[in-house]
Amino acid sequence: MELALQQKLVARLCTDRAFREEFFADPAQVAAHEGLTVAAEGLASLHPEQLRQFARLLRTRRLGEAGEALPLTRRALGFRFADLFKAFAIQGLPPGEHMGEDAVAFVNFLEQQAVTQPLEPAWVRSLARYEATRVEAEWLGRRKLVVRQFPHALRRLLPAFAAGGVPEGDFSGWTLAVWCCASSGQRPRHWLW
Amino acid sequence: MGRKTEITNLLANLPRLGAGLAYREPFRAELLQKQPEVDFLEIYGDRYIDAPPARMEELAVLSEHFTLVPHFTRLSLGSAEGLDPDYLEKVRLLIKRLNPPWWSEHIGFTRAGGVTLGQPAPLPFSKEGVEVMSRNIVTARRAIATPLILENVFAPLVWPGGEMDPAQFIGEVLGYGGCGLLLDVANLQANAAGLGGDAAAFLDRLPLDRVVQVHFSGCHESKGRSVESRSQPVAESVWQLLDAVVARAPVRCLCLERDDNLPPLGDLLWEVERARALGRQHKRWN
Repeated sequence: MELALQQKLVARLCTDRAFREEFFADPAQVAAHEGLTVAAEGLASLHPEQLRQFARLLRTRRLGEAGEALPLTRRALGFRFADLFKAFAIQGLPPGEHMGEDAVAFVNFLEQQAVTQPLEPAWVRSLARYEATRVEAEWLGRRKLVVRQFPHALRRLLPAFAAGGVPEGDFSGWTLAVWCCASSGQRPRHWLW
Repeated sequence: MGRKTEITNLLANLPRLGAGLAYREPFRAELLQKQPEVDFLEIYGDRYIDAPPARMEELAVLSEHFTLVPHFTRLSLGSAEGLDPDYLEKVRLLIKRLNPPWWSEHIGFTRAGGVTLGQPAPLPFSKEGVEVMSRNIVTARRAIATPLILENVFAPLVWPGGEMDPAQFIGEVLGYGGCGLLLDVANLQANAAGLGGDAAAFLDRLPLDRVVQVHFSGCHESKGRSVESRSQPVAESVWQLLDAVVARAPVRCLCLERDDNLPPLGDLLWEVERARALGRQHKRWN
């Protein structure tokens, strides 16, 4: 039982920077608050740099998986993808139970960020949401029908990536995207208008 | 027949696969063309749990051309809260579908208190840590008859209050669990360096008769420490350690891992060929 509580605490310490700082300010109190008794003193001697290093390793692995789920967004953002992912990951929201959930949560974060700090080019926001919606429709499969509207011309933007590099232009326009799956285990059908 | 002999016999009957690599999607088309240069593929099993149909179609194609060995991270055999029965069932179904010679997980935990880490964290080197692993291994082996082997994890994080050293801990877990060892030599080297020790000396203390599979990969330096990043070519020091392992352990296969900074496939296949030659040199396969 004690080890389960210890693991819970360590998992939070590795994924939540604010919690980590709070813990190292007063380890015994935080450990006690988390319900740890016998091992509280021991955990208080966890090495801060070791935890930070492991937290960085976790973040790197998560970044790789998010990039795999959002390949065009990663290409469009370039080095900013890693910087933005770091800003997202240190907030303390751990990766979800299913692969793909982290990528969707990251895109939600990007959209929140974009309200105050717009992404450039502007179509990246539509592209990220498009890829996240695809992950939800194809991976997470919670709904049989997904319909989504985007404020950019994805029908022109997506093929432009096939040439390599990052397309130029504002790709103004509107797109309606639909994913439809008759049953689980079947590849969803997808349309763009 | 004693339990130790029984386990040794079980492991001795596993097939000798040779040298292969951990599958990465960007190499899919090229790998199919270069099938004769790869003796087997290790697949990241969690990628195919609840996966979309397109990915399962990919798996079907791979299984037609290669021996596949599934490697998991998210079952979390080291979780003190126990295994997730739903996830275990999904792992079971995937293994049934692939019918591999063995499957692998880690000596660590990836799930605790509703937090999923995505990468195995080390356990405390304690009796309780051994008990947790043993309990979960028994549950997993009851569900899945295919032999299970366990990997030593990268452990930059050392729990306070350890009751045994890392090598002894690994030996205890394998002994109680009745499992083979997937020895990651880059992790071994990085951990030994982090603890201020010598990888060769650490190797001496491991139950090398249990080694079934070996992972090897490149490391990089971070803040003065060696980190297994799988983003660089295999360093000479890792090759030397690999040689020492293959010389002494009854390995059935050697698996190259590369996740980031992917080079042309030809570069990786050169490293696979070098590993294959190492196995031949030590008469692990023909």
